[in-house]
Amino acid sequence: MIELQGITKVYKTGSQILEALRGVSLKIGRGEFISIMGPSGSGKSTLMNIIGCLDTPTAGEYVLDGDRVAGLSFDQLAAVRNRKIGFVFQNFNLLPYATTWENIELPMLFDGKNAHKRKKRISELLNAVGLYDWRDHRPSELSGGQQQRIALARALANDPPILLADEPTGNLDSRSGEEIMAILTELWKAGRTIVMVTHNDRIASYSQRIIRLLDGMVQD
Amino acid sequence: MAFGQGMTIQFKVAFSGLGETLIMVYGGQTSLPFEGLPKGRPISLYPEDVDYLKERIPEILRIAPESYNYLQVSANGKEINRTVHGTTAEFALMRTQVPRLGGRFLNADDVAKGRKVAFIGWKVAGDLFGSGDPVGSQIIINRIPFTVIGVLQKKIQDSMYQGPDADQIYLPFYAYRQIDNRRRINQVHIQPREAAQSKLIEARVRTLLGRKNRFDPDDRYALSFWNTIEDAKEGMAIFKGIEIFLGIIGALTLLIGAVGVTNLMYALAKERTKEIGIKLAIGARRRVIVQQFFLETLFVFAKGTFWGFIVAFNIVHIIRLAPINYDSFGIEAYLLRPEFSLQIFAAYMAILGVLVFLSGIFPALRASRSNPIESLRYE
Ligand SMILES: Nc1ncnc2c1ncn2[C@@H]1O[C@H](COP(=O)(O)OP(=O)(O)OP(=O)(O)O)[C@@H](O)[C@H]1O
Ligand SMILES: [Mg+2]
Repeated sequence: MIELQGITKVYKTGSQILEALRGVSLKIGRGEFISIMGPSGSGKSTLMNIIGCLDTPTAGEYVLDGDRVAGLSFDQLAAVRNRKIGFVFQNFNLLPYATTWENIELPMLFDGKNAHKRKKRISELLNAVGLYDWRDHRPSELSGGQQQRIALARALANDPPILLADEPTGNLDSRSGEEIMAILTELWKAGRTIVMVTHNDRIASYSQRIIRLLDGMVQD
Repeated sequence: MAFGQGMTIQFKVAFSGLGETLIMVYGGQTSLPFEGLPKGRPISLYPEDVDYLKERIPEILRIAPESYNYLQVSANGKEINRTVHGTTAEFALMRTQVPRLGGRFLNADDVAKGRKVAFIGWKVAGDLFGSGDPVGSQIIINRIPFTVIGVLQKKIQDSMYQGPDADQIYLPFYAYRQIDNRRRINQVHIQPREAAQSKLIEARVRTLLGRKNRFDPDDRYALSFWNTIEDAKEGMAIFKGIEIFLGIIGALTLLIGAVGVTNLMYALAKERTKEIGIKLAIGARRRVIVQQFFLETLFVFAKGTFWGFIVAFNIVHIIRLAPINYDSFGIEAYLLRPEFSLQIFAAYMAILGVLVFLSGIFPALRASRSNPIESLRYE
């Protein structure tokens, strides 16, 4: 489902050249639950952003579901991010002025789903993450764990087959973290492909397989 | 800028307080010897000169003689000293002598029959009769009674002689001669058919009166002229200057406004960079982002235009509500009458609009071209 071949990412800041990824090759099959681990600065987020089509690699080939990502247009990539991949960030990235309901609605609006479908799906998702009663609240009125659950609901809005989570529990206390992991496990059992970055061994233990990164390279 | 425009208009109004376009002719003294006559001879104007000039200069639309003297005026048990004028009905048409309701200026009949009637300024009326209506009352000048037929309405006037019109008393020319029997007259008022002919008329008056009084038509001092058309040109130039000055201030304000707006939009765009990043990350297409930004910009601009309009319009109108003190001839009469110019406002907003649009749309375009992660990373 996800195939990376010799992916590199080079950052140039002034005269400094930094190789965040140095030839990463990996395959992730449909329905897998993967953890990516590694020390800070090893390139985990960089890799996740490339897999999530939020960033483009400097070199290498990324094939998603049989499509060469490099060959997709801006709007085709937007469609991939909209329908195929749900992305959960460490810092939630919810729109501050919108209610939780509106935040979850947004990906469906971009997809052009009708009002009836949206309403049904949002209610479903809010119930699934246990925050239906918070539908009219703004993110700032919610705890970190609650915000992450809303972010998760938003990522699932268009029912994407792949869920990517960059340290989803990194900003949460352990109890909230467990709640999130319980939901991720459910989603995986329902057939989704899940890729997650974490520093925490306990969190990683929920997954089937761990990919370890060091200095921008995959360790075997 | 509204103030500049207002001043120019108000100046036009004030100058026409004296009368639209006027040439005033006064006697003088020769400064050149002529046909054996020495220089330094006094030249005076006489009543018959009025018809003499009118018959010979077709460019003259109206002409009126005027004599005046500072005389004692009494009525209602009060005594005051005022300038009393003798003139004809044409004078009113040239000098915008608008009577208050219920009164009138001297007419041709009054003048032809030498009726003992008087047209008085509103201050004279107040001094003699208080707030009562003087029309129909008698005033005594040099022991001769005159009936008041009209009172001058208040007006803005910035050009004057012998004090403002408010303080004057006008009598029919031949009635005036009974209280002041000097043969020579103080001046002649001429209104040209067209303003452009004023210089030509001046030259022809010099030539004709020069022939009659035997002075050199090139003698600058034999007669003197006060040409309001020429004066107005100068006055207008000064006020144009002020308008340009205020215009420059306006342009600077515009510049400041433009910088402010650009900064605001830039800040807004930056603030929204993260938001754009989030939207891109969850699948917004470029068109959605640009469209949203376009609408937002339009909204901000419409709101700004609306409030700008309300505020500017009301400031102008509140200032215009301030009463003008017609008795003084200060600058406030001009500053208190700014004009709200829709064209200038529209031009101003058009310039700002383009800036708002550019400063709003470019950051949005830029954000929607780069990788979403670059916008997302923005804190
Ligand atoms: N936009 C950027 N410009 C320059 N260098 C960057 C940029 N983003 C990341 N880097 C660098 O690339 C390297 C990898 O960063 P990355 O964020 O992928 O690490 P990470 O494994 O996610 O670390 P952490 O565990 O702290 O999140 C780091 O050295 C980082 O400083
Ligand atoms: Mg990271």
